[in-house]
Amino acid sequence: MGFLAAGIGAGIITLGAGIGIGLIGKGAVESIARQPEASGDIRGAMILTAAFIEGVALFAAVVTAILALGISVG
Amino acid sequence: MKQALRGTLFSILLLMLFHPTAIAQDQSSQAEEEPVIDVMGKIVDHDYLELVGVKIYLPRILFVGGELYTYGSTKSALESGEFMEQDGALVRADGAPVSLDMSITSHLMYVWFGIILTLIFTFWAARRYKQGVGASVEPRGITQNIFEVLFLFVKDDIAKEYIPGDKHKKYINYLFSVFLAITFMNLFGLLPWGVSATADLTVTATLAAMTFFITQFSGSKDHWRHVFMFPGVHPLIRVILTPVEILGLFTKPFALAIRLFANMLSGKILIVCILGLIFIFTDIFGPLVGVGSSVVWVSLTAALYILKAFIALLQAYIFTLLSAVFIGMAAEEHEHEHDTNVAVATDVNT
Repeated sequence: MGFLAAGIGAGIITLGAGIGIGLIGKGAVESIARQPEASGDIRGAMILTAAFIEGVALFAAVVTAILALGISVG
Repeated sequence: MKQALRGTLFSILLLMLFHPTAIAQDQSSQAEEEPVIDVMGKIVDHDYLELVGVKIYLPRILFVGGELYTYGSTKSALESGEFMEQDGALVRADGAPVSLDMSITSHLMYVWFGIILTLIFTFWAARRYKQGVGASVEPRGITQNIFEVLFLFVKDDIAKEYIPGDKHKKYINYLFSVFLAITFMNLFGLLPWGVSATADLTVTATLAAMTFFITQFSGSKDHWRHVFMFPGVHPLIRVILTPVEILGLFTKPFALAIRLFANMLSGKILIVCILGLIFIFTDIFGPLVGVGSSVVWVSLTAALYILKAFIALLQAYIFTLLSAVFIGMAAEEHEHEHDTNVAVATDVNT
């Protein structure tokens, strides 16, 4: 049961994080294409925002790891 | 420069002091059948250090009910008769569980290796700069140029960018030492028999706790006002906002710790699993298929190693960057147009 939950959870996490980071990439590439001289700043902002999304995804990844490994919390 | 290095040393000493040791728990002991490859056993902390295939057993320091026990290794602890093994963990002979395990583990050793390398690197560079190489003439040699590039990168692209005003000088020491130490600790995972200490939640949590305390101690008046009395909103909304802001203080370093930990751990698991496919294939289809398919898995691992080296540097950068962002957010003194300036303006008018 834990494995099933972890598997479904991992899929949903990947979906969400993929959409989020994809949107960031889209925005960054579009703005670099529009204004190539600002590419350095845009890249920094892109990595920062991607890191935030990744952080949320990793919270969920830890939850799925706990489910899959069957570690009882508390 | 001298000031900066003294700060670096201080930060590193802090890092040395705060490492709560994890109790290495053997996950595989619960499994009914022996698995082909023990993935978790390759990832968890060990009581020995493996150097070029030779196992060096590390001392155990255990507190049981206020009493201190020290042994040269786990084996000598068992041989002395005062401790016995239960579910993969040490328990005192009378059944009392270990209340505090301060044993030196392989992950802690690699933390120390990272710190020692950072110290050697910075002190070496400090001596060079004191001699005038780099200060009055250009830096010479590959190593000093690397140092200069890294230091200027942390100073200009991270500290100056995100910490406002003159305050960034105060935090460069911490940011640079943490950047170097995490980079070294991450890259140790790429060596054969090496372990990346940052794939341990206690290590990353310690690092994040340092960022947390520095952030809170450098918090300006505006920072605390934003936490407890968010300006410019209705008092009833503050009932919701204040708990959220207080929660936000703790989730930021928590995310920092989890991010570094999960990234380093996932790289490790991935490599162990892909190399483990050789043994799984051998187990299922026989040795010929196992050896034949190993060409694919080994080349895949080689590609993953390059990715892992990149991620090691990227995560050190992200940790430093986010530390700088959090410190900068706390240290920033806001220029509010909405309430303070209006109040000043009305004072002037009257």
